[in-house]
Amino acid sequence: MRIAVLLSAGRHPVSGAPVLPRLEAQAIRLAVGLGEAHEVVGLHAGPDAAAVAEGLGQGLARIEHLTVAAEADPVPALAARLAALAPDLILAGRRGQGGPETGLVPYGLAEALDLPLIPDVIGLAPEAADRLSLDQSLGRGARRRVILGGPVLATVHPDAPAPLAYAYGRARRGAFEPVAVAPVEVSPGLAAEAGALPAIEERPYRRRPKLVKGAPAGGSAAERLKAATGEAGASAGGRLLVQPDPDEAAREILAYLRQVGVLAAPRPTDDPR
Amino acid sequence: MTRPRRDPRAERAALLVATGEGTRPRLDRTVRRDGGGRLRRDPRRERDGQRVPGVLRPRYDLSQVSRPEAGPVHEAPRTVQAPVPTVVVLDAPAFLVLVVPDAAGGRLTPHDRQVLGAARVLAGREGGVAILAPGTCEGSGPAGADRLVRLDDKGGDALGDCDPGGYDPAGRAALVAEAIAELSPRHVLFPESPDGGDLARRVAVRLRQPLFSDVEAVAAGSIARPAHGRRVEQRTAPGLLVTLAADAVAEYAGPPREAREIPVRIETLARAAPAILSATTIPADPATVPLGLASFVAAAGSGVTDLATFREVVAALHATPGASRVLCDAGLMPRSSQVGASGTVLAATCYVALGISGAPQHLQGVAGCEHVVAVNTDLHAAMIERAGLAIVQDAQAVMPALLRLLTQDAGPTRDAP
Repeated sequence: MRIAVLLSAGRHPVSGAPVLPRLEAQAIRLAVGLGEAHEVVGLHAGPDAAAVAEGLGQGLARIEHLTVAAEADPVPALAARLAALAPDLILAGRRGQGGPETGLVPYGLAEALDLPLIPDVIGLAPEAADRLSLDQSLGRGARRRVILGGPVLATVHPDAPAPLAYAYGRARRGAFEPVAVAPVEVSPGLAAEAGALPAIEERPYRRRPKLVKGAPAGGSAAERLKAATGEAGASAGGRLLVQPDPDEAAREILAYLRQVGVLAAPRPTDDPR
Repeated sequence: MTRPRRDPRAERAALLVATGEGTRPRLDRTVRRDGGGRLRRDPRRERDGQRVPGVLRPRYDLSQVSRPEAGPVHEAPRTVQAPVPTVVVLDAPAFLVLVVPDAAGGRLTPHDRQVLGAARVLAGREGGVAILAPGTCEGSGPAGADRLVRLDDKGGDALGDCDPGGYDPAGRAALVAEAIAELSPRHVLFPESPDGGDLARRVAVRLRQPLFSDVEAVAAGSIARPAHGRRVEQRTAPGLLVTLAADAVAEYAGPPREAREIPVRIETLARAAPAILSATTIPADPATVPLGLASFVAAAGSGVTDLATFREVVAALHATPGASRVLCDAGLMPRSSQVGASGTVLAATCYVALGISGAPQHLQGVAGCEHVVAVNTDLHAAMIERAGLAIVQDAQAVMPALLRLLTQDAGPTRDAP
């Protein structure tokens, strides 16, 4: 199986230094973890390949570099190269880090290559008959196992296994391969859409006050304080049972848990004994 | 202040009453004649005069000179009745703002309500908010929706046999794109949740429209999102497709809206067979899910000595086991199960504290839990005060009773072959 991992030039969220985004390092781990039999190649479209050199130390043996201008859309170049490579699985992060961060590149690629896209993958396993089983995170530990036949594009969830440790020797042995990119002619339809974009004004980021859950929008200061300190929450008017019988206490607890909805209702007994 | 000098002779003369054979002093000395002396104070009338007419409360400014003649207007005390909310009806909206909620299980999530609130801001007075609800979506009117569009997955039924898991994100995106083409709204808002963000991006590439994602500030004419690692804020006039970050915009708090259902004819698309062969949902195993992700946690403190029974109770409740610092320090429970500031801060919906008094550090770990049940012997423990259901009883006595009831409820399944 041939696997392509899309790499982006990221910025560290705290220091702003150039770094390989963690999700893409996790994607490399998922791909490399399938075994030696599979061919894994990294793919980067951007002005400078040094931005993703860390990927070599994280487990990739080969990174293909497509030279694209910094502000240009990487999707056409990537789509052309991926169509030539024809990998069985394409892995990407959910979104870039340090750029516009819209997360549209995987979706644009899936549309351009006409591939199914499975988001938020945390595990991979090849199945029989060229099928692929992907585990998708649904949050809170729940998963969805999706089985597909044929090539697929998947984005990686932060709950995927942690990235491999950086190895200096591996980074030295790995190689970059520059790939010539045919200049993509911009179709008139896309140019018209680009012209129709509303102007985007940029200014330094300002952190906004946290939205207090359940706070009344037009309430008084006292009401807002009550909402902020949790006094008006569901547990504010709690029930208190002092020294009840243990059986009665247990019944009360189970009734409360069922009312909250975390415990299933008792199975109705069909045969009264 | 000067008072007129008293004239005792004149006063005495004034007290004389003329009779037939001369004069005599008046017998009733309390009756005051007009024109003389000061008025007698009536403290009750004065106090009444200090009350605000209409409302039965004293004036705030008591230094005002009261006019005794103007007594308070005594009204029957106003009965405080909740104002009957009048449903806002918008007959011909100038434009539509479409909201595509997650609505998992046909119920609006808090994030969906926030998206409706943001849509209400964008719609303003003339515009209408339409919600694209999968099936029945209760409570969308009070959440701020003027119109309701049923997006019944007719295509999903047709594909039902070849897609057993019911997971067809591309098909859903196609349906939403069709609905957008049919309704031609001015803006379309999605929640930036795992499902909503995925759907928004699929719709964006399908419609070939730019997407303004992770919006954190919404005003009538402009929206803003962070970019470049939260170093820059991008601000623009709202375009067609927008996704809204969680907990950024307040929910709609005005009077309820109509949520009138409007029919939309979406022809079932002839779609190619989806690439997804099967999709099965694997629920989280409560015994192994990390404590920070668990939705239902039962924890033991130093009031629990029989940990074997505690583990059985936790398994029977299908909860994730937790513990207080005391038990973890003693080595009775693993450190990974410690709840609190130095352990794990929970994101659970429900928390059951057995024999935990509730140290401040422990309560910090539970701060995000919506429902708390506490069993403790101490009536004055902080955990009892925090709990929604507080039981002052020995946890050691309650645990076997819980276990007995739970096995009783699960009894018929064991009998079944």
